[in-house]
Amino acid sequence: MVDLARKNLLYDKLRFLITVSGVAFAVTLVFVQVGLFLGLMDNASITIEHLDADLWVTSRNTANVDFAQTFPETYVQRLRSVPGVERADNLIVWFMNVALPTGAREGTLVYALSDFRRWKMPWNVTEGNLDDLKRGKYLFLDSSATKRYGAFAPGDYREVLGHRMKIIGRTRDALSFSTTPISFVDFRRAQELSPQELTGNTTYILLKLAPGADRAAVLAEVRRRVPHNDVWTREEWASRSRHYWVESTGLGLNMIMTVFLGCLVGLVVVAQTLYTSTMEHITEFGTVKAIGGSNRDIYKILAEQATISAVVGFLLGSLQAFLLRPVMAKIDLKLIIPPSFAAVVFAGTLVLCLAAAMISFRKVAGIDPALVFRG
Amino acid sequence: MNVLEASDVTKSFREGRGEEVRVLSGASLALARGEVVALEGPSGSGKTTFLSILGCILTPSSGRLVIDGEEVDPRRPERLPTVRRLKIGFVFQQFNLFPALSAVENVEYALNVKGVRGRAARQEAERVIAAVGLSDRQGFLPRDLSGGQKQRVAIARALAGGPPIVLADEPTANLDAQVGQQVLEMFQELAKRENRGLLIVTHDPKVRTIADRVVRIADGRIAA
Repeated sequence: MVDLARKNLLYDKLRFLITVSGVAFAVTLVFVQVGLFLGLMDNASITIEHLDADLWVTSRNTANVDFAQTFPETYVQRLRSVPGVERADNLIVWFMNVALPTGAREGTLVYALSDFRRWKMPWNVTEGNLDDLKRGKYLFLDSSATKRYGAFAPGDYREVLGHRMKIIGRTRDALSFSTTPISFVDFRRAQELSPQELTGNTTYILLKLAPGADRAAVLAEVRRRVPHNDVWTREEWASRSRHYWVESTGLGLNMIMTVFLGCLVGLVVVAQTLYTSTMEHITEFGTVKAIGGSNRDIYKILAEQATISAVVGFLLGSLQAFLLRPVMAKIDLKLIIPPSFAAVVFAGTLVLCLAAAMISFRKVAGIDPALVFRG
Repeated sequence: MNVLEASDVTKSFREGRGEEVRVLSGASLALARGEVVALEGPSGSGKTTFLSILGCILTPSSGRLVIDGEEVDPRRPERLPTVRRLKIGFVFQQFNLFPALSAVENVEYALNVKGVRGRAARQEAERVIAAVGLSDRQGFLPRDLSGGQKQRVAIARALAGGPPIVLADEPTANLDAQVGQQVLEMFQELAKRENRGLLIVTHDPKVRTIADRVVRIADGRIAA
Protein backbone atom coordinates (compact mmCIF):
# COMPACT_ATOMS: atom_id res chain seq x y z
CA MET A 1 0.00 0.00 0.00
CA VAL A 2 1.49 3.32 -1.06
CA ASP A 3 1.53 5.71 1.88
CA LEU A 4 0.66 8.93 0.05
CA ALA A 5 0.01 10.78 3.32
CA ARG A 6 3.47 10.15 4.75
CA LYS A 7 5.26 10.71 1.45
CA ASN A 8 3.44 13.97 0.80
CA LEU A 9 4.20 15.14 4.33
CA LEU A 10 7.91 14.35 4.07
CA TYR A 11 8.20 15.62 0.49
CA ASP A 12 8.22 19.22 1.71
CA LYS A 13 10.65 18.81 4.58
CA LEU A 14 10.71 22.47 5.57
CA ARG A 15 6.95 22.57 5.96
CA PHE A 16 7.05 19.34 7.93
CA LEU A 17 9.72 20.81 10.18
CA ILE A 18 7.59 23.89 10.80
CA THR A 19 4.57 21.75 11.63
CA VAL A 20 6.36 19.46 14.06
CA SER A 21 8.20 22.43 15.57
CA GLY A 22 4.84 24.01 16.37
CA VAL A 23 3.64 20.81 18.00
CA ALA A 24 6.97 20.29 19.80
CA PHE A 25 6.88 23.86 21.10
CA ALA A 26 3.41 23.36 22.54
CA VAL A 27 4.35 19.99 24.06
CA THR A 28 7.54 21.36 25.63
CA LEU A 29 5.66 24.35 27.00
CA VAL A 30 3.01 22.15 28.57
CA PHE A 31 5.57 19.74 30.01
CA VAL A 32 7.75 22.51 31.42
CA GLN A 33 4.89 24.55 32.84
CA VAL A 34 3.02 21.66 34.37
CA GLY A 35 6.27 19.87 35.32
CA LEU A 36 7.54 22.94 37.18
CA PHE A 37 4.14 23.39 38.78
CA LEU A 38 4.16 19.78 39.97
CA GLY A 39 7.75 20.22 41.14
CA LEU A 40 6.83 23.29 43.18
CA MET A 41 3.77 21.54 44.55
CA ASP A 42 5.97 18.62 45.48
CA ASN A 43 8.26 21.00 47.39
CA ALA A 44 5.26 22.53 49.13
CA SER A 45 4.40 19.23 50.81
CA ILE A 46 7.55 17.11 50.51
CA THR A 47 8.30 17.16 54.23
CA ILE A 48 4.70 16.22 55.08
CA GLU A 49 4.86 13.30 52.65
CA HIS A 50 8.13 12.02 54.12
CA LEU A 51 7.44 12.49 57.82
CA ASP A 52 6.09 9.25 59.24
CA ALA A 53 3.05 10.91 60.81
CA ASP A 54 -0.56 9.89 60.17
CA LEU A 55 -2.11 12.95 61.83
CA TRP A 56 -0.94 16.53 62.25
CA VAL A 57 -2.10 18.93 64.92
CA THR A 58 -1.62 22.55 63.92
CA SER A 59 -2.58 25.84 65.47
CA ARG A 60 -5.97 27.06 64.30
CA ASN A 61 -6.11 28.17 60.64
CA THR A 62 -2.47 27.51 59.82
CA ALA A 63 -2.36 27.91 56.07
CA ASN A 64 0.60 25.72 55.16
CA VAL A 65 3.49 23.86 56.71
CA ASP A 66 6.02 26.67 56.21
CA PHE A 67 3.88 29.32 57.97
CA ALA A 68 3.73 27.71 61.38
CA GLN A 69 2.30 29.32 64.50
CA THR A 70 2.96 28.36 68.08
CA PHE A 71 0.87 26.71 70.78
CA PRO A 72 1.85 25.13 74.11
CA GLU A 73 4.11 22.12 73.81
CA THR A 74 2.34 20.43 76.73
CA TYR A 75 -0.67 19.67 74.50
CA VAL A 76 1.22 16.65 73.31
CA GLN A 77 0.68 15.05 76.73
CA ARG A 78 -3.08 15.11 76.16
CA LEU A 79 -2.68 13.19 72.96
CA ARG A 80 -0.20 10.49 73.90
CA SER A 81 -2.90 8.77 75.93
CA VAL A 82 -5.51 8.73 73.14
CA PRO A 83 -6.41 5.11 72.38
CA GLY A 84 -5.02 4.13 68.98
CA VAL A 85 -2.12 6.60 69.12
CA GLU A 86 1.19 4.77 69.00
CA ARG A 87 3.32 7.84 69.52
CA ALA A 88 3.03 11.63 69.52
CA ASP A 89 5.80 14.24 69.42
CA ASN A 90 6.22 17.98 69.04
CA LEU A 91 7.65 19.40 65.84
CA ILE A 92 8.89 22.93 65.43
CA VAL A 93 9.03 24.44 61.94
CA TRP A 94 10.36 27.97 62.26
CA PHE A 95 11.95 30.56 60.03
CA MET A 96 15.29 31.83 61.39
CA ASN A 97 17.87 34.29 60.12
CA VAL A 98 21.33 33.05 59.24
CA ALA A 99 24.40 35.30 59.09
CA LEU A 100 26.78 34.16 56.39
CA PRO A 101 30.59 34.52 56.49
CA THR A 102 30.24 37.16 53.78
CA GLY A 103 28.24 39.34 56.15
CA ALA A 104 25.04 38.74 54.19
CA ARG A 105 21.90 37.57 55.89
CA GLU A 106 19.78 34.71 54.67
CA GLY A 107 16.98 32.61 56.04
CA THR A 108 16.56 28.97 56.95
CA LEU A 109 13.47 26.95 57.71
CA VAL A 110 14.36 25.00 60.83
CA TYR A 111 12.76 21.60 61.45
CA ALA A 112 13.22 20.60 65.07
CA LEU A 113 12.38 17.24 66.64
CA SER A 114 13.53 15.40 69.73
CA ASP A 115 14.01 12.17 67.81
CA PHE A 116 14.48 12.54 64.09
CA ARG A 117 15.01 8.86 63.41
CA ARG A 118 11.68 7.90 64.93
CA TRP A 119 9.88 10.13 62.41
CA LYS A 120 12.11 9.16 59.47
CA MET A 121 13.18 12.76 59.05
CA PRO A 122 15.25 13.83 57.19
CA TRP A 123 14.88 11.01 54.68
CA ASN A 124 18.05 11.51 52.68
CA VAL A 125 21.13 12.04 54.88
CA THR A 126 24.33 12.20 52.85
CA GLU A 127 26.78 13.12 55.64
CA GLY A 128 26.73 13.08 59.44
CA ASN A 129 24.96 11.23 62.25
CA LEU A 130 21.52 12.50 63.32
CA ASP A 131 22.07 11.29 66.90
CA ASP A 132 24.81 13.91 67.29
CA LEU A 133 22.30 16.77 66.97
CA LYS A 134 21.50 16.51 70.71
CA ARG A 135 25.13 16.89 71.70
CA GLY A 136 25.65 20.60 71.17
CA LYS A 137 24.92 23.62 69.02
CA TYR A 138 24.74 21.56 65.89
CA LEU A 139 22.66 21.49 62.77
CA PHE A 140 22.18 19.51 59.61
CA LEU A 141 21.80 21.57 56.44
CA ASP A 142 20.30 20.57 53.13
CA SER A 143 22.58 20.64 50.08
CA SER A 144 20.18 23.00 48.31
CA ALA A 145 21.49 25.72 50.66
CA THR A 146 24.69 25.89 48.62
CA LYS A 147 22.99 28.16 46.09
CA ARG A 148 22.05 30.70 48.76
CA TYR A 149 24.77 30.28 51.35
CA GLY A 150 27.68 29.34 49.12
CA ALA A 151 29.69 26.16 49.51
CA PHE A 152 29.65 24.58 52.97
CA ALA A 153 30.85 21.37 54.54
CA PRO A 154 30.40 19.59 57.84
CA GLY A 155 32.65 21.31 60.34
CA ASP A 156 31.78 24.80 59.10
CA TYR A 157 29.99 27.26 61.38
CA ARG A 158 27.02 29.50 60.63
CA GLU A 159 25.37 32.05 62.91
CA VAL A 160 21.67 31.34 63.42
CA LEU A 161 19.78 34.15 65.19
CA GLY A 162 23.07 35.23 66.71
CA HIS A 163 24.03 31.73 67.88
CA ARG A 164 27.16 30.10 66.46
CA MET A 165 26.03 26.71 65.13
CA LYS A 166 28.25 23.99 63.74
CA ILE A 167 27.15 22.16 60.60
CA ILE A 168 27.58 18.45 61.36
CA GLY A 169 25.64 16.86 58.56
CA ARG A 170 24.20 17.30 55.14
CA THR A 171 20.91 16.18 53.61
CA ARG A 172 19.44 16.09 50.11
CA ASP A 173 16.01 16.81 48.62
CA ALA A 174 14.61 18.57 51.71
CA LEU A 175 13.14 21.61 49.98
CA SER A 176 10.55 24.21 50.76
CA PHE A 177 8.15 25.86 48.34
CA SER A 178 9.86 29.23 48.79
CA THR A 179 13.28 27.58 48.24
CA THR A 180 14.35 28.71 51.72
CA PRO A 181 16.98 26.12 52.74
CA ILE A 182 15.84 23.62 55.34
CA SER A 183 18.00 22.84 58.36
CA PHE A 184 17.49 20.26 61.11
CA VAL A 185 18.06 21.10 64.76
CA ASP A 186 17.30 19.36 68.04
CA PHE A 187 13.93 20.40 69.47
CA ARG A 188 15.29 22.01 72.66
CA ARG A 189 18.06 23.74 70.71
CA ALA A 190 15.47 25.34 68.44
CA GLN A 191 13.65 26.68 71.48
CA GLU A 192 16.94 28.14 72.75
CA LEU A 193 17.61 29.81 69.44
CA SER A 194 14.32 31.71 69.51
CA PRO A 195 13.34 31.71 73.18
CA GLN A 196 10.85 34.53 73.03
CA GLU A 197 8.54 32.69 70.66
CA LEU A 198 9.46 29.06 71.15
CA THR A 199 10.18 28.45 74.83
CA GLY A 200 7.43 26.17 76.10
CA ASN A 201 5.87 26.13 72.64
CA THR A 202 5.71 23.95 69.60
CA THR A 203 4.26 24.53 66.14
CA TYR A 204 2.94 21.05 65.34
CA ILE A 205 2.20 17.76 67.02
CA LEU A 206 2.85 14.64 64.99
CA LEU A 207 0.83 11.52 65.69
CA LYS A 208 1.50 7.99 64.55
CA LEU A 209 -1.44 5.60 64.75
CA ALA A 210 -1.10 2.14 66.20
CA PRO A 211 -1.54 -0.70 63.69
CA GLY A 212 -5.25 -1.45 63.22
CA ALA A 213 -6.35 1.78 64.93
CA ASP A 214 -9.63 3.33 63.82
CA ARG A 215 -8.41 6.50 62.16
CA ALA A 216 -11.78 8.27 62.30
CA ALA A 217 -12.24 7.48 65.97
CA VAL A 218 -8.72 8.65 66.82
CA LEU A 219 -9.23 11.82 64.80
CA ALA A 220 -12.46 12.59 66.65
CA GLU A 221 -10.86 12.01 70.03
CA VAL A 222 -7.82 14.13 69.17
CA ARG A 223 -10.11 16.95 68.05
CA ARG A 224 -12.00 16.66 71.32
CA ARG A 225 -8.83 16.91 73.37
CA VAL A 226 -7.30 19.89 71.53
CA PRO A 227 -10.43 21.84 70.63
CA HIS A 228 -8.62 25.07 69.81
CA ASN A 229 -6.32 23.44 67.26
CA ASP A 230 -6.84 21.97 63.81
CA VAL A 231 -6.23 18.29 63.20
CA TRP A 232 -5.46 16.96 59.75
CA THR A 233 -4.66 13.65 58.20
CA ARG A 234 -1.37 13.60 56.33
CA GLU A 235 -3.15 13.76 52.96
CA GLU A 236 -5.39 16.65 54.02
CA TRP A 237 -2.49 18.63 55.41
CA ALA A 238 -0.34 18.06 52.32
CA SER A 239 -3.22 19.08 50.09
CA ARG A 240 -3.94 22.19 52.19
CA SER A 241 -0.28 23.23 52.04
CA ARG A 242 -0.20 22.84 48.26
CA HIS A 243 -3.49 24.60 47.68
CA TYR A 244 -2.35 27.57 49.69
CA TRP A 245 0.38 28.31 47.14
CA VAL A 246 -1.84 27.57 44.16
CA GLU A 247 -4.56 29.93 45.35
CA SER A 248 -2.61 32.67 47.07
CA THR A 249 0.08 33.15 44.43
CA GLY A 250 -1.98 32.80 41.25
CA LEU A 251 0.40 30.00 40.32
CA GLY A 252 -2.43 27.72 39.24
CA LEU A 253 -4.04 30.37 37.03
CA ASN A 254 -0.67 31.22 35.52
CA MET A 255 -0.05 27.56 34.77
CA ILE A 256 -3.48 27.09 33.21
CA MET A 257 -3.08 30.23 31.09
CA THR A 258 0.35 29.19 29.82
CA VAL A 259 -0.82 25.67 29.02
CA PHE A 260 -3.85 27.11 27.22
CA LEU A 261 -1.71 29.51 25.20
CA GLY A 262 0.81 26.77 24.40
CA CYS A 263 -1.96 24.52 23.12
CA LEU A 264 -3.48 27.39 21.16
CA VAL A 265 -0.16 28.19 19.47
CA GLY A 266 0.36 24.51 18.64
CA LEU A 267 -3.19 24.20 17.31
CA VAL A 268 -2.89 27.30 15.13
CA VAL A 269 0.51 26.27 13.73
CA VAL A 270 -0.67 22.76 12.87
CA ALA A 271 -4.02 23.94 11.49
CA GLN A 272 -2.36 26.64 9.42
CA THR A 273 0.33 24.40 7.94
CA LEU A 274 -2.07 21.53 7.27
CA TYR A 275 -4.55 23.88 5.64
CA THR A 276 -1.88 25.52 3.48
CA SER A 277 -0.59 22.09 2.54
CA THR A 278 -4.13 20.99 1.64
CA MET A 279 -4.62 24.05 -0.54
CA GLU A 280 -1.32 23.40 -2.30
CA HIS A 281 -2.27 19.77 -2.91
CA ILE A 282 -5.81 20.54 -3.96
CA THR A 283 -5.22 19.33 -7.55
CA GLU A 284 -3.75 16.11 -6.19
CA PHE A 285 -6.81 15.58 -4.03
CA GLY A 286 -8.94 16.35 -7.07
CA THR A 287 -7.00 13.67 -8.93
CA VAL A 288 -7.61 11.19 -6.10
CA LYS A 289 -11.32 11.89 -6.45
CA ALA A 290 -11.21 11.73 -10.26
CA ILE A 291 -9.60 8.29 -10.25
CA GLY A 292 -12.32 7.03 -7.96
CA GLY A 293 -11.17 7.96 -4.47
CA SER A 294 -13.76 9.21 -2.01
CA ASN A 295 -13.71 12.02 0.55
CA ARG A 296 -12.99 9.29 3.08
CA ASP A 297 -9.75 8.40 1.26
CA ILE A 298 -8.66 12.04 1.50
CA TYR A 299 -9.76 12.38 5.14
CA LYS A 300 -7.58 9.36 5.89
CA ILE A 301 -4.62 11.09 4.23
CA LEU A 302 -5.14 14.26 6.27
CA ALA A 303 -5.77 12.36 9.49
CA GLU A 304 -2.61 10.31 8.98
CA GLN A 305 -0.61 13.48 8.34
CA ALA A 306 -2.02 15.05 11.51
CA THR A 307 -1.22 11.89 13.45
CA ILE A 308 2.36 11.76 12.17
CA SER A 309 2.80 15.44 13.03
CA ALA A 310 1.40 14.78 16.51
CA VAL A 311 3.63 11.77 17.18
CA VAL A 312 6.85 13.35 15.87
CA GLY A 313 6.04 16.68 17.54
CA PHE A 314 5.27 14.94 20.82
CA LEU A 315 8.52 12.96 20.72
CA LEU A 316 10.56 16.08 19.93
CA GLY A 317 8.75 18.13 22.57
CA SER A 318 9.21 15.39 25.18
CA LEU A 319 12.89 15.10 24.32
CA GLN A 320 13.34 18.84 24.76
CA ALA A 321 11.52 18.76 28.09
CA PHE A 322 13.62 15.84 29.34
CA LEU A 323 16.81 17.57 28.22
CA LEU A 324 15.72 20.62 30.20
CA ARG A 325 15.38 18.60 33.40
CA PRO A 326 19.07 18.59 34.40
CA VAL A 327 19.32 22.28 33.44
CA MET A 328 16.39 23.08 35.73
CA ALA A 329 17.83 20.91 38.49
CA LYS A 330 20.98 23.07 38.47
CA ILE A 331 18.87 26.04 39.53
CA ASP A 332 16.98 23.96 42.09
CA LEU A 333 13.84 23.67 40.00
CA LYS A 334 12.21 20.29 39.79
CA LEU A 335 10.51 19.24 36.58
CA ILE A 336 8.16 16.41 37.46
CA ILE A 337 6.60 14.59 34.51
CA PRO A 338 4.68 11.53 35.69
CA PRO A 339 4.06 8.86 32.99
CA SER A 340 0.30 9.29 33.40
CA PHE A 341 0.64 13.01 32.65
CA ALA A 342 2.85 12.28 29.63
CA ALA A 343 0.11 9.93 28.37
CA VAL A 344 -2.50 12.68 28.82
CA VAL A 345 -0.30 15.17 26.92
CA PHE A 346 0.18 12.64 24.11
CA ALA A 347 -3.57 12.05 23.84
CA GLY A 348 -4.16 15.81 23.95
CA THR A 349 -1.58 16.40 21.22
CA LEU A 350 -3.24 13.81 19.03
CA VAL A 351 -6.70 15.27 19.58
CA LEU A 352 -5.49 18.82 18.91
CA CYS A 353 -3.71 17.84 15.69
CA LEU A 354 -6.77 15.94 14.47
CA ALA A 355 -8.93 18.92 15.40
CA ALA A 356 -6.56 21.13 13.39
CA ALA A 357 -7.01 18.78 10.42
CA MET A 358 -10.80 19.20 10.60
CA ILE A 359 -10.49 22.61 8.96
CA SER A 360 -8.86 20.93 5.99
CA PHE A 361 -11.51 18.18 6.05
CA ARG A 362 -14.14 20.81 5.32
CA LYS A 363 -12.12 22.12 2.41
CA VAL A 364 -11.54 18.77 0.72
CA ALA A 365 -15.18 17.77 1.15
CA GLY A 366 -15.99 20.49 -1.38
CA ILE A 367 -13.32 19.64 -3.94
CA ASP A 368 -14.81 19.21 -7.40
CA PRO A 369 -12.99 16.39 -9.21
CA ALA A 370 -13.75 18.20 -12.47
CA LEU A 371 -10.96 20.63 -11.58
CA VAL A 372 -8.51 18.09 -13.03
CA PHE A 373 -9.78 19.04 -16.52
CA ARG A 374 -9.06 22.71 -16.00
CA GLY A 375 -5.66 22.95 -17.58
CA MET B 1 -19.28 -4.09 -28.59
CA ASN B 2 -19.63 -0.60 -27.17
CA VAL B 3 -18.11 0.08 -23.78
CA LEU B 4 -19.48 3.59 -23.69
CA GLU B 5 -22.76 4.93 -25.04
CA ALA B 6 -24.02 8.46 -24.53
CA SER B 7 -27.38 9.38 -26.04
CA ASP B 8 -28.95 12.85 -26.21
CA VAL B 9 -26.92 14.14 -23.29
CA THR B 10 -27.70 17.67 -22.17
CA LYS B 11 -26.10 19.71 -19.46
CA SER B 12 -27.16 23.08 -18.13
CA PHE B 13 -25.55 25.19 -15.41
CA ARG B 14 -27.12 27.97 -13.44
CA GLU B 15 -25.00 31.09 -13.42
CA GLY B 16 -24.59 33.53 -10.55
CA ARG B 17 -27.57 35.67 -11.55
CA GLY B 18 -29.81 32.62 -11.85
CA GLU B 19 -29.59 32.42 -15.62
CA GLU B 20 -29.48 28.92 -17.03
CA VAL B 21 -26.68 28.24 -19.50
CA ARG B 22 -26.97 25.18 -21.70
CA VAL B 23 -23.54 23.74 -22.44
CA LEU B 24 -24.56 20.45 -24.07
CA SER B 25 -27.63 20.09 -26.28
CA GLY B 26 -28.23 16.43 -27.01
CA ALA B 27 -24.71 15.12 -27.55
CA SER B 28 -24.40 11.44 -28.46
CA LEU B 29 -21.33 9.25 -28.76
CA ALA B 30 -20.44 5.56 -28.77
CA LEU B 31 -17.05 4.01 -28.13
CA ALA B 32 -16.21 0.37 -28.83
CA ARG B 33 -13.56 -1.82 -27.22
CA GLY B 34 -10.21 -1.40 -28.98
CA GLU B 35 -11.43 1.74 -30.73
CA VAL B 36 -9.61 5.07 -30.64
CA VAL B 37 -11.83 8.14 -31.06
CA ALA B 38 -10.67 11.74 -31.24
CA LEU B 39 -13.10 14.37 -29.97
CA GLU B 40 -12.33 17.77 -31.42
CA GLY B 41 -13.94 21.10 -30.98
CA PRO B 42 -13.20 24.77 -30.44
CA SER B 43 -12.92 26.35 -27.01
CA GLY B 44 -16.32 26.68 -25.36
CA SER B 45 -17.86 23.98 -27.52
CA GLY B 46 -18.64 21.84 -24.45
CA LYS B 47 -16.05 19.13 -24.98
CA THR B 48 -14.63 19.29 -21.43
CA THR B 49 -18.15 19.16 -19.97
CA PHE B 50 -18.95 16.22 -22.24
CA LEU B 51 -15.73 14.51 -21.16
CA SER B 52 -16.61 15.11 -17.48
CA ILE B 53 -20.01 13.49 -18.02
CA LEU B 54 -18.54 10.56 -19.94
CA GLY B 55 -15.99 10.20 -17.13
CA CYS B 56 -18.79 10.14 -14.50
CA ILE B 57 -17.41 13.26 -12.85
CA LEU B 58 -20.51 15.27 -13.70
CA THR B 59 -24.06 14.01 -14.11
CA PRO B 60 -26.05 14.97 -17.21
CA SER B 61 -29.16 17.14 -16.93
CA SER B 62 -30.87 14.67 -19.24
CA GLY B 63 -29.99 11.88 -21.60
CA ARG B 64 -28.66 8.37 -21.16
CA LEU B 65 -25.19 7.16 -20.32
CA VAL B 66 -24.17 3.49 -20.34
CA ILE B 67 -20.71 2.51 -19.15
CA ASP B 68 -19.58 -1.06 -19.85
CA GLY B 69 -23.17 -2.25 -19.90
CA GLU B 70 -24.23 -0.40 -16.74
CA GLU B 71 -26.58 2.55 -17.06
CA VAL B 72 -25.42 5.49 -14.96
CA ASP B 73 -28.26 6.84 -12.87
CA PRO B 74 -27.89 10.63 -12.47
CA ARG B 75 -30.13 10.49 -9.41
CA ARG B 76 -27.49 8.42 -7.61
CA PRO B 77 -24.34 10.57 -7.74
CA GLU B 78 -22.85 8.57 -4.86
CA ARG B 79 -22.35 5.68 -7.32
CA LEU B 80 -20.16 7.74 -9.64
CA PRO B 81 -16.83 7.29 -7.77
CA THR B 82 -17.30 3.52 -7.91
CA VAL B 83 -17.93 3.63 -11.67
CA ARG B 84 -14.86 5.80 -12.16
CA ARG B 85 -12.77 3.52 -9.97
CA LEU B 86 -13.69 0.33 -11.76
CA LYS B 87 -14.42 1.30 -15.35
CA ILE B 88 -12.50 4.40 -16.35
CA GLY B 89 -8.88 5.45 -16.60
CA PHE B 90 -7.95 9.12 -16.98
CA VAL B 91 -5.06 10.92 -18.64
CA PHE B 92 -4.86 14.64 -17.94
CA GLN B 93 -3.34 17.54 -19.81
CA GLN B 94 -1.17 18.47 -16.80
CA PHE B 95 -0.25 14.82 -16.11
CA ASN B 96 -1.53 15.24 -12.50
CA LEU B 97 1.06 12.90 -11.05
CA PHE B 98 1.64 12.89 -7.29
CA PRO B 99 4.98 14.68 -6.95
CA ALA B 100 5.97 12.83 -3.76
CA LEU B 101 5.50 9.40 -5.33
CA SER B 102 7.87 7.67 -7.73
CA ALA B 103 6.66 6.66 -11.19
CA VAL B 104 5.77 3.15 -10.12
CA GLU B 105 4.19 4.37 -6.87
CA ASN B 106 1.96 6.76 -8.81
CA VAL B 107 0.56 3.78 -10.66
CA GLU B 108 0.45 1.60 -7.55
CA TYR B 109 -1.45 4.25 -5.59
CA ALA B 110 -4.13 4.42 -8.31
CA LEU B 111 -4.42 0.64 -8.06
CA ASN B 112 -4.73 0.92 -4.27
CA VAL B 113 -7.65 3.34 -4.77
CA LYS B 114 -9.22 0.75 -7.08
CA GLY B 115 -8.93 -1.80 -4.27
CA VAL B 116 -5.84 -3.67 -5.50
CA ARG B 117 -3.36 -3.98 -2.65
CA GLY B 118 0.02 -5.40 -1.71
CA ARG B 119 2.12 -7.50 -4.06
CA ALA B 120 -0.60 -7.71 -6.72
CA ALA B 121 -0.69 -3.90 -6.96
CA ARG B 122 3.07 -3.65 -7.17
CA GLN B 123 3.32 -6.32 -9.87
CA GLU B 124 0.59 -4.74 -11.98
CA ALA B 125 2.19 -1.30 -11.56
CA GLU B 126 5.55 -2.63 -12.69
CA ARG B 127 3.89 -4.38 -15.63
CA VAL B 128 2.23 -1.24 -16.99
CA ILE B 129 5.31 0.89 -16.30
CA ALA B 130 7.27 -1.63 -18.37
CA ALA B 131 4.56 -1.49 -21.06
CA VAL B 132 5.12 2.27 -21.44
CA GLY B 133 8.88 1.70 -21.58
CA LEU B 134 9.84 3.21 -18.26
CA SER B 135 11.18 0.23 -16.33
CA ASP B 136 14.53 1.95 -15.92
CA ARG B 137 12.81 5.08 -14.55
CA GLN B 138 10.23 3.47 -12.29
CA GLY B 139 11.86 4.71 -9.08
CA PHE B 140 12.17 8.30 -10.32
CA LEU B 141 10.08 11.11 -8.87
CA PRO B 142 8.02 13.12 -11.42
CA ARG B 143 10.36 16.11 -11.01
CA ASP B 144 13.17 13.94 -12.42
CA LEU B 145 11.19 12.87 -15.50
CA SER B 146 10.75 14.69 -18.79
CA GLY B 147 7.31 15.81 -19.98
CA GLY B 148 6.98 12.81 -22.28
CA GLN B 149 8.01 10.42 -19.52
CA LYS B 150 5.51 12.00 -17.14
CA GLN B 151 2.72 11.54 -19.67
CA ARG B 152 3.76 7.93 -20.15
CA VAL B 153 3.49 7.39 -16.39
CA ALA B 154 0.05 9.00 -16.53
CA ILE B 155 -0.92 6.62 -19.35
CA ALA B 156 0.37 3.66 -17.33
CA ARG B 157 -1.72 4.86 -14.39
CA ALA B 158 -4.83 5.11 -16.59
CA LEU B 159 -4.34 1.60 -18.00
CA ALA B 160 -3.51 -0.03 -14.66
CA GLY B 161 -6.20 -2.30 -13.28
CA GLY B 162 -7.68 -2.88 -16.74
CA PRO B 163 -10.48 -0.29 -17.04
CA PRO B 164 -12.44 -0.85 -20.27
CA ILE B 165 -12.49 2.91 -21.01
CA VAL B 166 -9.64 5.40 -21.07
CA LEU B 167 -10.42 9.11 -21.38
CA ALA B 168 -7.64 11.51 -22.23
CA ASP B 169 -7.87 15.28 -22.01
CA GLU B 170 -5.41 17.03 -24.34
CA PRO B 171 -2.64 14.49 -23.61
CA THR B 172 -0.16 16.17 -25.97
CA ALA B 173 -0.81 19.80 -25.03
CA ASN B 174 2.27 20.04 -22.83
CA LEU B 175 4.59 18.01 -25.06
CA ASP B 176 6.66 19.03 -28.05
CA ALA B 177 5.56 17.74 -31.46
CA GLN B 178 7.96 14.81 -31.72
CA VAL B 179 7.44 13.55 -28.18
CA GLY B 180 3.69 14.09 -28.55
CA GLN B 181 3.62 11.89 -31.65
CA GLN B 182 5.61 9.15 -29.88
CA VAL B 183 3.31 9.26 -26.86
CA LEU B 184 0.21 9.10 -29.07
CA GLU B 185 1.51 6.12 -31.03
CA MET B 186 2.38 4.26 -27.88
CA PHE B 187 -0.99 5.16 -26.35
CA GLN B 188 -2.83 3.88 -29.42
CA GLU B 189 -0.83 0.68 -29.53
CA LEU B 190 -1.48 -0.08 -25.85
CA ALA B 191 -5.19 0.68 -26.13
CA LYS B 192 -5.50 -1.64 -29.12
CA ARG B 193 -3.36 -4.38 -27.61
CA GLU B 194 -5.25 -4.30 -24.30
CA ASN B 195 -8.61 -3.87 -26.05
CA ARG B 196 -9.60 -0.61 -24.30
CA GLY B 197 -11.88 2.05 -25.71
CA LEU B 198 -9.85 5.25 -25.93
CA LEU B 199 -11.41 8.69 -26.26
CA ILE B 200 -9.03 11.60 -26.72
CA VAL B 201 -10.27 15.17 -26.39
CA THR B 202 -7.87 17.36 -28.31
CA HIS B 203 -7.01 20.34 -30.44
CA ASP B 204 -3.93 18.57 -31.73
CA PRO B 205 -4.20 17.52 -35.41
CA LYS B 206 -1.65 14.74 -34.78
CA VAL B 207 -4.30 12.82 -32.92
CA ARG B 208 -6.16 12.33 -36.22
CA THR B 209 -3.25 10.17 -37.41
CA ILE B 210 -3.81 7.57 -34.71
CA ALA B 211 -7.62 7.79 -34.34
CA ASP B 212 -10.01 5.32 -35.91
CA ARG B 213 -12.65 8.01 -35.92
CA VAL B 214 -12.77 11.75 -35.43
CA VAL B 215 -15.84 13.30 -33.83
CA ARG B 216 -16.44 17.04 -33.79
CA ILE B 217 -18.38 18.89 -31.16
CA ALA B 218 -19.68 22.42 -31.70
CA ASP B 219 -22.15 24.43 -29.63
CA GLY B 220 -22.85 21.48 -27.40
CA ARG B 221 -23.78 19.14 -30.25
CA ILE B 222 -21.89 16.38 -31.99
CA ALA B 223 -21.44 17.37 -35.59
CA ALA B 224 -21.89 14.80 -38.29
